[in-house]
Amino acid sequence: MEPELAIALPAAGSACAAMLKTRPKAAVVSAASLGLAGVAAIVVYAPGSTSEQLGFAFSVSAESRALVIAAAAALALVVALAPLLVERATLLTWGLAGLSGMVAIAAATSIEIVILVVLALAALQAAAPGKRPFATRLRGPVLAATLLAVAAAAARSDGPSILSRLAAVALVAGLFAALGAMPYIHEFDAEERTATSPVPWMAFIGPVMVLAVLTQARALVPSEGAAVGAMMIALGLINMLWGSVASWRTEGGAAAWHYSFMADWGLALCGLGLAIADGRRAAVLVLLGIVLSRLPLYLWSRQALREKRPNDRPINLLASAMLAGAAPFAGFAARVLLLRGATQLYWPLALVIGLGLLLWLPPSLRLGRSLGLPRGRQAWGVGIALAVNAAIGLYPQPFLSLAGL
Amino acid sequence: MIVAAAFTAWLGAAVIVLSDGRRALAIGLALTAAAFSALAWAGGEHLAAAAIFVGGGAAAVLRSQTGDDVWGVMPPGSTPRLILSLAGGLLALWIATSLMTGPGAPARFAALSVLGLMGARILTETKPPALLTALSALALSVAMVSGMSGAGAGPSPYIAAAVVALGVSVVHAAGPDGA
Repeated sequence: MEPELAIALPAAGSACAAMLKTRPKAAVVSAASLGLAGVAAIVVYAPGSTSEQLGFAFSVSAESRALVIAAAAALALVVALAPLLVERATLLTWGLAGLSGMVAIAAATSIEIVILVVLALAALQAAAPGKRPFATRLRGPVLAATLLAVAAAAARSDGPSILSRLAAVALVAGLFAALGAMPYIHEFDAEERTATSPVPWMAFIGPVMVLAVLTQARALVPSEGAAVGAMMIALGLINMLWGSVASWRTEGGAAAWHYSFMADWGLALCGLGLAIADGRRAAVLVLLGIVLSRLPLYLWSRQALREKRPNDRPINLLASAMLAGAAPFAGFAARVLLLRGATQLYWPLALVIGLGLLLWLPPSLRLGRSLGLPRGRQAWGVGIALAVNAAIGLYPQPFLSLAGL
Repeated sequence: MIVAAAFTAWLGAAVIVLSDGRRALAIGLALTAAAFSALAWAGGEHLAAAAIFVGGGAAAVLRSQTGDDVWGVMPPGSTPRLILSLAGGLLALWIATSLMTGPGAPARFAALSVLGLMGARILTETKPPALLTALSALALSVAMVSGMSGAGAGPSPYIAAAVVALGVSVVHAAGPDGA
């Protein structure tokens, strides 16, 4: 019954927070209680076991469960240490809705359910008040859903071998479209609220969605594993280069953060495409870094970005080091694992990835400066995000064990 | 009957592509849902057929009550949409009957034609009522894709699709172009 509860309780919490908007304290208490109960359900759940209490099968893999827990921890951190101008009830409304959708995606036993949850989340996000037009916000996720459905249709039909190759291409294209990664970058507006911007697709829902789709892909196109991996590595490299260069050179500070998520995703997708244990471990560490550190830092940088007051204090340099993947942070361990995996597979690939990693430094310095001078709750938040990231970097095995690796 | 249902699904999708008014959009969605329901019933998925019929039908009723109270079929400048409907249908027919083999060609044609046309409609449209109607039909077609496997996926994707189709119909866009 745990997966069902982990879907229903955060959804109920989100609804409570939305309905009690006029009474913020009641909204926060009720939503946080329901959200915590939902997280408790996923924490006690034994990964891989199937629950059919409601007549439908739900099963969550260890990797997805680890990322759901990480996303819940990130949400708790951001809500507890919310920036002054952000309402906690609003954060909980959107965060818990996303968390519920995330568990539904992770627990889905067919790719069609994953697609339908993506459509529901897209409609919910597009309907919220925001700067980008309704149609613009729907486009990326709907393109992803259509491509993934085409992939499922091609994989499920008898016919020539070109059909399974088509399914593999559509699967990878659908994944990148859902994330908003190159070549399907979602339109970004620096003034838009984070919840209604493309950032949740990359940094909150994205990690679990990608793992769920790749799990389904193994069953759908078992003969095309190498092709899927090759496409993911190629597009991952393009995202690494494009994301890091754009994050360095773009004018807007918020846009630079958006591109930095893309660069990190390039690294994670390369790791997932390698299809060997080290690659997968590297990908999980990068994804944990995105969810637990990069996303909270982005949220805390928004005010300083608006006020245009960059800073060069030691805390900014530490944040830069973390974002660049320097030792002892999680990014360093991930990069070592990725290079080791790439060397095992094909050493020139390690050379290309290694050269690409150098591009992280200039944008990371810029992003670290954009945090401004963190004060009060923001300073605590930045400190905790850095400490968690350093803990993952120094002792990655407990986190990898949680993900079943 | 199965072939007629498959072409009805395409017709419903074509009506959604060609229309802007709530009456025509609702009729297009109802046609698609009824056709999908008949195809699922013919495939032995009775619970799935009922879910699609109820979810799609209710979504069509809700759509008929919101938006511009006109038919709006083929407004001026809709030639590209007409070409899209015909070409999309023909392409789906070719893929479902020639490229893909095995039994279930009508269901494949229905799912692929609605999937393609609704995807194209959403990517090229800006008005929320048409977008949401297309999104409902797209959700129903995703469920039909799950029925393309020989083993069958059971009723859960159909029920989920019905819930999404219905849920999408109660959404009110609050963005800068909101209805």
